[in-house]
Amino acid sequence: MKIDRRLILNFDWTLALLVALIVGMGVLNLYSAGHGISGEPHVKQIRWVLLGIVVMALAFAFDYRWIARYAYAMHALAVVLLIAVFAVGSVTKGSQRWINVAGFTMQPSELVKITLILALAKYFNDHRIEGSYGIRELVAPFLIVLVPFVLVIKQPDLGTALMLMILFGSMVLFIGVRWRTLLGLAAVGLLIIPIGWNFLAEYQKERVLTFIDPQRDPLGSGYHIIQSIIAVGSGGILGKGFMRGTQSQLKFLPEQQTDFVFSVFAEEWGFLGALLVLLLFLALILWGLKIARHSRDYLGTLIAVGVTMLIFWGVFINVAMVLGILPVVGIPLPFFSYGGSSMVKMMAAMGFLMNVSMRRYVLQS
Amino acid sequence: MPEKRDRLVRYDPGEYRDRFTVFFWVILAAVCLLVLRLWYLQIIKGEELLKRSENNRIRIREVKAMRGIILDARGVVLVENRPSYDVVIFPEDVKDLKGLVEKLENLYAKVGLTFPMDYETILENRRPFTPLRVDRNVSREKLALVETHSLDLPGVGIDVMPVREYYYGESMAHVIGYIGEVSREELEREKSAGYKSGDFIGKFGLEKALDRYIRGRPGGEQVEVNVVGRKVKTLGRVEPVQGYRVVLTIDSQVQKAAWAAMEGKAGAVVALDPRDGSVLALVSRPGFDPNLFNRGVSADVWEKISSNPLHPMENRAIAGQYPPGSTYKLIVAAAALEEGLITPETSFNCPGSFEMGTRTFRCWRKHGHGRVSLHRAIVESCDVYFYHVGRLLGVDRLAQYAQAFGLGARTGVAMAGERRGLIPTRDWKLARFGVPWQPGETISIAIGQGYNTVTPLQLANAYAAVANNGEFFTPRVVQRIETDDGEIIEEFRPEKKAVLPVSRENVQLLKRALWGVVNEPGGTGGQARVAGRDVCGKTGTAQVIGMAEGDDGSAYPYEYRDHALFVSFAPRDNPEIVVAVVAEHSGHGGSAAAPVARKVLEAYFAGKARP
Repeated sequence: MKIDRRLILNFDWTLALLVALIVGMGVLNLYSAGHGISGEPHVKQIRWVLLGIVVMALAFAFDYRWIARYAYAMHALAVVLLIAVFAVGSVTKGSQRWINVAGFTMQPSELVKITLILALAKYFNDHRIEGSYGIRELVAPFLIVLVPFVLVIKQPDLGTALMLMILFGSMVLFIGVRWRTLLGLAAVGLLIIPIGWNFLAEYQKERVLTFIDPQRDPLGSGYHIIQSIIAVGSGGILGKGFMRGTQSQLKFLPEQQTDFVFSVFAEEWGFLGALLVLLLFLALILWGLKIARHSRDYLGTLIAVGVTMLIFWGVFINVAMVLGILPVVGIPLPFFSYGGSSMVKMMAAMGFLMNVSMRRYVLQS
Repeated sequence: MPEKRDRLVRYDPGEYRDRFTVFFWVILAAVCLLVLRLWYLQIIKGEELLKRSENNRIRIREVKAMRGIILDARGVVLVENRPSYDVVIFPEDVKDLKGLVEKLENLYAKVGLTFPMDYETILENRRPFTPLRVDRNVSREKLALVETHSLDLPGVGIDVMPVREYYYGESMAHVIGYIGEVSREELEREKSAGYKSGDFIGKFGLEKALDRYIRGRPGGEQVEVNVVGRKVKTLGRVEPVQGYRVVLTIDSQVQKAAWAAMEGKAGAVVALDPRDGSVLALVSRPGFDPNLFNRGVSADVWEKISSNPLHPMENRAIAGQYPPGSTYKLIVAAAALEEGLITPETSFNCPGSFEMGTRTFRCWRKHGHGRVSLHRAIVESCDVYFYHVGRLLGVDRLAQYAQAFGLGARTGVAMAGERRGLIPTRDWKLARFGVPWQPGETISIAIGQGYNTVTPLQLANAYAAVANNGEFFTPRVVQRIETDDGEIIEEFRPEKKAVLPVSRENVQLLKRALWGVVNEPGGTGGQARVAGRDVCGKTGTAQVIGMAEGDDGSAYPYEYRDHALFVSFAPRDNPEIVVAVVAEHSGHGGSAAAPVARKVLEAYFAGKARP
């Protein structure tokens, strides 16, 4: 493939800068959050960032229209990996999420978020209709999300499963559905809940109930929330200073390098620091919407919208949880939380955003 | 070109302008919500939360579950829980551990005590967020001592642990058992059961056998503590769930009487209800006090128990194997009657001894019983009569009947450590010793000597079979397991074991003879008589070594003296209770064991009279 010189001229420096800033702050924060934890998570995280940059480059080097041709195949592969998790995966903290691929342990549930966006973008691009979508047109794309959704629930990883549905919902809302259809889907959803409930195992029910009412589990997530709120609030306006957060350094915070990494940041950098991070994320999200809007074709718009929603919901749900306005559900903070699969996934997503952005002016030969 | 299809519908992003606008505002609103919340937490509540973080004392503490209580058949509480206090150190609240340990040592020394742990041990054993028990099961004085100095002892606290209170101590130790701290092997073995190190687990008896029902489920508490680690406020709590309640078939009054009646003796007493196999009392002497094991048994107590030559830990009622002596005659008689070898009228002359080849077998009465038939032979326990019967029967036929009475096999009572006893046969001897069976040995076993051994529980159950007109049950100790509200978790119903291959007439005949043993003149069991109750029974005196005739053995060392046995049931016509007594090295069954049985029967009937 011949690379157009104009491609390089069109490199999206704003996007790259925003990502670099956020990733940098994330690693710095992890240095503090992971202090004293064996294995030095920040060092590993830097390795994941480097791998992420390679994946990101791969994701924007080839034209997204060419990549989208293989969207279904990639999605199918991700689903196969999800199935493989049950056969050969390892169990941590009571759920089976990890798999060994070519010497790397990875979470197929992270990969599937990317392939879902691509597959849905391709589907909606291939099946464009005049006006709004009705139920009949949504059956097929719903299957695209339903299969991985069920597999992820089985692991069980409610956070990721929820994310898949939210991504699907966001993209469907973007392409536009009839009001009637929307109400119908909501009604069906309400009907399915009590039926599906009976199929859940006792411990899964307990998880869902705790999800709805954290007070059911005052020794688990209830404790997490209180400690997290104390950490955030005690940061005040200016924070306690880097590496000086008592909550985090004394290990009061649970999961402080993964799901609750933002409370470490808010404790040490205060309101101003936390505000800065939120504004950087907001800038990235709005920039993503801008890329979607200025895409040269509908496929690009759909991919960019999907990726942007991935960042938005990740940030919103995680931060809201850390601040105690949403129940505790295991969704990591993009670029901040420790974890290779999540980091590589986010960098790949940024690659696709870059891909769409770089090719917005490129004329067809 | 893949783009071709795209061009069919002209792309106009403007078409989606309104949707971009909606997304924009939704996102902006969401981020504003987060910022507002940050503002609220960090700026409005900042000061307050900063204070809370400075003395962040929110801890999660486990709340131990109480084990289920154990009740007797009448609802009397046999085992309960009481609080025990430990001095603990919360490592995260201690800034200067060395200084703290010194303070504790000085404090203890001031009142003449020694602090049981040194600095190095504490340093070695402490784990983050896990209270370390430095002094267990402390007295009220120590408790007060530590409490009053709590301000000088940051990080030192008192933790309450439920411990078992065994109200019946030694007398029920073998049935109920005891608990102890879970061992490393048990942790491995019971991995899935969710035990943690420091937890308690049943080690013996029903505490062990029913552990999974009794243990309950621990809860936890999220608490806020002050600077010295004291609880200020409970923020959340998961209540522990107490273990299930166990209702036994044991009647504590009968048990108590049986234990008291055996005072000063070693041996066992088993009382059971022949109508359904319920064990009413099960005593093994000497006993041990399970309360001593509560919080880890001390070395000298353990030494005392384990070095006792009488083995207090052995449950003699199910694991003691004794020659049955003359109590075995019931089975010999039943076998001979059924096989048609004798009739009630068949009589033999007892001149005081019995010749077989070159050997002479003596009757216990030196001058003999004269000519006796079956009834008198049982009543007066004539040995010579049974030598004749034994010779007619032969060893293998007798073994068949003994097995039908449940001897030589475990009764199947749900208790660990039950032994089988032994009923010899020709094949057994050949296999065991490589020597053929000798005819003289049949003569010995006909009066319950020789290779025969039985456990007290087997003996009781064999007599229960006769008492209950041939039908008998697997003995059971536990009636049911239930929740606090009485909801039944598991019920152990009477389980019919077998029916004796003995006709009803023969059973009646034997019962009359057993009544005669206690109630007729010349009967050997007169000391078991209870006024107004038709007690039936059979004495037994099992030789440990051969003695010269007429020797009561009192000149011999303890371990060579005869075992005294007595098995009885009452009332004759509708028996409700069977009592088997084995008193080791105590002399004659009629004088050493029958009075014990009488006391047990009296206690039973006295209890029946009470509502």
